[in-house]
Amino acid sequence: MQELLGRIARLDPNSSLGLRVIACFDELIVGNVNTRALLAAAASLAGCTAGFRESGSQAEMRVSPRGEIDRSQALTPRDDLLARAGDDMLVWLERDEAPLANDAIILERLALAVRIRHGRGQREIDNRRHLGVLTERTSSVEERLDAAGALGLVAARRYRIVAAPLFAVWEGRPSGPEDVIGTRFGPIHVVVVPEIFEPFRAAPGGIGIAASVHGLDRSFRSALVALRLCDPPREPMVVADDYGGLIELLADADDDAQHDYADSLTLVAQQHPWALETVEALVTTQTVREAARELDIHHSTLQARCDTLRTGLGFDPLQGFGRTRLGTAFLMHRLSRSTVLDMPAPAAVPG
Amino acid sequence: MTVNAVPRPGFDAELRAGLAVVGGMFPPTITPELIDFMRLSYASPPMNDLFRQHRIDVTDVVLPGYQGGDLTAAVLRPRDAQGPRPTVLYAHSGGLMFGDKFSGLDLVLDWVSDLGAIVVTVDYRLAPEFPDPYPWEDMYAALEWVAAEAGNLGVRRDRILVAGASAGGGLAAGIALAARDRGGPRPCGQLLDYPMLDDRLITASTAQFDGIGVWDRVSNRTAWQALLGDRRGGDDVSAYAAPARAGDLSALPPAFIDVGAAEIFRDEAIDYAGRIWAAGGDAELHVWSGAFHACDIFAPHTSVGRSMIRTRNAWVEKILAD
Repeated sequence: MQELLGRIARLDPNSSLGLRVIACFDELIVGNVNTRALLAAAASLAGCTAGFRESGSQAEMRVSPRGEIDRSQALTPRDDLLARAGDDMLVWLERDEAPLANDAIILERLALAVRIRHGRGQREIDNRRHLGVLTERTSSVEERLDAAGALGLVAARRYRIVAAPLFAVWEGRPSGPEDVIGTRFGPIHVVVVPEIFEPFRAAPGGIGIAASVHGLDRSFRSALVALRLCDPPREPMVVADDYGGLIELLADADDDAQHDYADSLTLVAQQHPWALETVEALVTTQTVREAARELDIHHSTLQARCDTLRTGLGFDPLQGFGRTRLGTAFLMHRLSRSTVLDMPAPAAVPG
Repeated sequence: MTVNAVPRPGFDAELRAGLAVVGGMFPPTITPELIDFMRLSYASPPMNDLFRQHRIDVTDVVLPGYQGGDLTAAVLRPRDAQGPRPTVLYAHSGGLMFGDKFSGLDLVLDWVSDLGAIVVTVDYRLAPEFPDPYPWEDMYAALEWVAAEAGNLGVRRDRILVAGASAGGGLAAGIALAARDRGGPRPCGQLLDYPMLDDRLITASTAQFDGIGVWDRVSNRTAWQALLGDRRGGDDVSAYAAPARAGDLSALPPAFIDVGAAEIFRDEAIDYAGRIWAAGGDAELHVWSGAFHACDIFAPHTSVGRSMIRTRNAWVEKILAD
């Protein structure tokens, strides 16, 4: 995988290889894999043998980048390629030359993973856990305050969560506590920024609603929905504030629930190629005339399209709650078909 | 807001971790617009150090491909071996659209350094610029060339194994069929690593792994469309291009087929093995739990990756070794 990391760095100089290392070990920790597998991942990422020793039991294991047990003569562990995994456990990398850029993060994450695997570390909170606590819905008030304090966040201030996939392309990086959080959409790069923040761009990226440290889980959920609404390059970044409370409602919607009117919109969109852009124009403007201008079509054409929509959807998209229903259906449709987290960033490719 | 409601076997934890690293370099969903990106991201790195470490001599050769067109290939030879050697004709991976003769070759080097085999790996011409029948006819021409040049190459003519991974696995299966039907050189075995066999995209596993892993239904459709154009999925597709189309799988050389339980090729690989057995043939089938497509190439250090490599090498040794 070292060679893969090298290729990723060449293809996309903006990529955060350190975050990929973090995400890799997160998966290993969640998967509860054994010490050999942890060492194999570290060795494979570093491109050299990785070792583990427990002083109490005299247990030692060294694993090659191909995942084989390395029985060759061990190099003497060097101070700059060594990490302590608790009081009596050591992990290290065996390299002749100077440490490489990712060695420190590989060792740090390996040490953490080994400590947890050996049952001595679940309660020790590190940075990753802090952001995990703040973005988790079920954390208690005390846990949130502790985690926020450890990250240097202030209870009296408001912040936003920025969410982006690991392959996002950044222009200007916001500064703030950051980490990788495992979600059901895969590992997500998370950064905490102040409510009012310096301009930056992540493509794709979602910016959550502003909240106090107690509400950062809501900010995270809204940032995830915003991220999934992205449609680069047309719409590389989405700010949850633009949709008011609607994104929060969507964030808390039950994924398994039936949403018949979103399904009806999907059907209409399959039958009429104009449907989605028309709906978008309708929900982002005030009047039919304005929407027709936006679409660059005659308003009688738009009126005819609205009639087709009314038949297909089973409600009038222009009357009463119809507009709201249309807007909700539109966002749900986009969320259910979001591919923003599946795709790479080919724009980052030279040439 | 349904998020992929299709139930599917999960990925092994070590392999999930590998995917977190690979993410984006080999996107799960490849559309025609991404072919140029893939040609860049999947191009093989310099291999000379690796060849040297394995004490392998490499000779670049040019051989006549389909309709006489020039093909480049590399002949990998163990530096220390004596006399005519067993030989592997290798077709690389890359969805028939990208990759080169050295793609994924690390795993193949064991056969040269440990088993003393010669490996001939071919730059067959790629779709969509060179659609059907170029890729498999090029590989078939390479098979005939290896057999014809056996004396000069130091190849044992009776011990030529055809092998390939993914798209290359499909090509290996295709030329084994073509050699049988045309009365060409008979391979001593066919090694089909998670092979791409079926242009119809009809199996359950094809629908199970959309948008995740390293090769999904859309990527597969892109690849077959590049090869077959509008004939894809229709009645006019040759079994040499899409071996799942073959009605008769009898009288083929012994087959080794491995595939991940968590990849789209699972069901077509299982079906192919089943039909070889039904026709009275010899097939060894391994379905690896939790494995995504080509996980042994992307994450050879994992428990699943090591098992795949070890098991495959044991079969190659059985078929090839002196």
